[in-house]
Amino acid sequence: MRADAKSAALYHRVVVWLLFLILMLPLAATLLYSLSTSWSASILPDGLTFKWYLALWSDSRFLAAFGQSLLVCFGALLLAVLLILPLLLVVHYHFPRLDRLMNILILLPLAVPPVVSSVGLLQVYGSGPLAMVGTPWILIGCYFTVALPFMYRAITNNLQAINLRDLMDTAHLLGASTWKAAFLVVLPNLRNGLMVSLFLSFSFLFGEFVFANLLVGTRYETLQVYLNNMRNSSGHFNSALVISYFFFVLIFTWAATRLNRDKQ
Amino acid sequence: MSYLSIRNLHKSYGTTTIFSDIQCEIGQGEFVTLLGPSGCGKSTLLRCVAGLTEVDGGQILLDGQDLVPLSPQKRGIGMVFQSYALFPNMTVQQNVGFGLRMQKVGKDESVRRVDEVLRLVELNDYAARYPHQLSGGQCQRVALARSLVTRPRLLLLDEPLSALDARIRKHLREQIRSIQQELGLTTLFVTHDQEEALTMSDRIFLMNAGRIVQSGDAESLYTAPVDAFAAGFIGNYNLLDANAASRLLLRQVHSRIAIRPEAIRMEDRGAIAAEVLGHSLLGNVIRYRVQANGVELLVDVLNCGDSELIGKGQCIGLSIDASAIREVA
Repeated sequence: MRADAKSAALYHRVVVWLLFLILMLPLAATLLYSLSTSWSASILPDGLTFKWYLALWSDSRFLAAFGQSLLVCFGALLLAVLLILPLLLVVHYHFPRLDRLMNILILLPLAVPPVVSSVGLLQVYGSGPLAMVGTPWILIGCYFTVALPFMYRAITNNLQAINLRDLMDTAHLLGASTWKAAFLVVLPNLRNGLMVSLFLSFSFLFGEFVFANLLVGTRYETLQVYLNNMRNSSGHFNSALVISYFFFVLIFTWAATRLNRDKQ
Repeated sequence: MSYLSIRNLHKSYGTTTIFSDIQCEIGQGEFVTLLGPSGCGKSTLLRCVAGLTEVDGGQILLDGQDLVPLSPQKRGIGMVFQSYALFPNMTVQQNVGFGLRMQKVGKDESVRRVDEVLRLVELNDYAARYPHQLSGGQCQRVALARSLVTRPRLLLLDEPLSALDARIRKHLREQIRSIQQELGLTTLFVTHDQEEALTMSDRIFLMNAGRIVQSGDAESLYTAPVDAFAAGFIGNYNLLDANAASRLLLRQVHSRIAIRPEAIRMEDRGAIAAEVLGHSLLGNVIRYRVQANGVELLVDVLNCGDSELIGKGQCIGLSIDASAIREVA
């Protein structure tokens, strides 16, 4: 019985590690490639160097793309928070029936492929009074719709767990206005759902390529578009870019999760 | 003159009328219970008094002032919910102090008053805890303290004990009642549990399908139900239609009657012959199921321990006091 349990545990561990290794392999290879001087006809690279990273992080075009990516992502997430939170509170407190409608609406950004919806967006915002194509504004608006389903679902789950109606009613009876009730009582209890959905949306949007390339392209270059435009330069340089990008997202989400946990 | 008076209150959702033409008068310091099955409109009535649900017509006068046009913030009413509704992000101290914070009461006075009311519910050692660190009974006492700290003119309790287990429920029941009497607080209590209603209240309003069926103290409600619903809801009345009643009592009866199970005595020389069908032990009471003249009855006997249980199939005699037979509409 005990021997069985032991061998089962060993088996599970082996499977998990194997899976982990398989998933890590391309990343590890990219990392190694970005650190090598040249690596073509041999099993291992000829020598190790940091020069690709130095070249990358001193390239002003890369830094600009990096900053622009950040700006568009944060802009979209800020817009999402400002619009979705009040919307959720209104839906769940005053019009619970609308939740069903919202659940259908938030599927739309997922149901329509980005290539299709960007064609539509180009039509609508390409000219006329709302000509925004080629500016970061259209990306912010578009990324907002992409983030909407994640944020709506995560925060809705959180709302259902806290019994919003009774909390709001209690706060009202104790003399709080609706604003005060929302800020002092409801929002602090939504922090978890909000943070989780923000991290998820951020890492997703930071790597978004199709919308960025089709709607804005080189006129406001984001990281992924920059990567695409550099595809003909050195593979070592591009590997350094991918690894930098990956570690930035990793460290950012890790740090934010830590901060969020410490506060509790 | 009454302290709280509800006049011609009407509420409907679309075409569904929740209640209409509700009238009731409640004196200052009274503990009044709204008792009824779920869906009878008692909780909605309470929410209307609190201002959380709008009414469609009628008046709610508290101390001479009409509450209907006032927002819940301005009514000066405290309320405790079945779900406790404690703020999870705040400590017990902050939860209880929330109402004072909204009223912009000074810090020193706030601390003093929070401490005072926490002492009242015997939770002063728990001020720094968070709600998730408390048991259900403690949570509900915090919720009670939170609604008392602002010195409300009226306290509303919406099934506050229904989520608690039996032992804590009994204890908290007594605690709520004694605090209410100590503070002389006019209280409106909603429950579907007849035992809670009977033990705690000065007066009970029995509700069914959006109207008040009967009102009165526990004694009159228990012994003198006005109709079949009241008899069926309170106690474990034997409800018999005119036919069955005539067969049982061997005389012509023209209306439905209700007989309390403890008003029927089992005696060897009882007037009515009956056969025992079975029994269940409720603790201090043994409840027999018997058949007499083709009518099935419940008979409660105090479990004194000196008499043996009467087995299934045995024949016994029953006697029923004429005064215990109550005609109901």
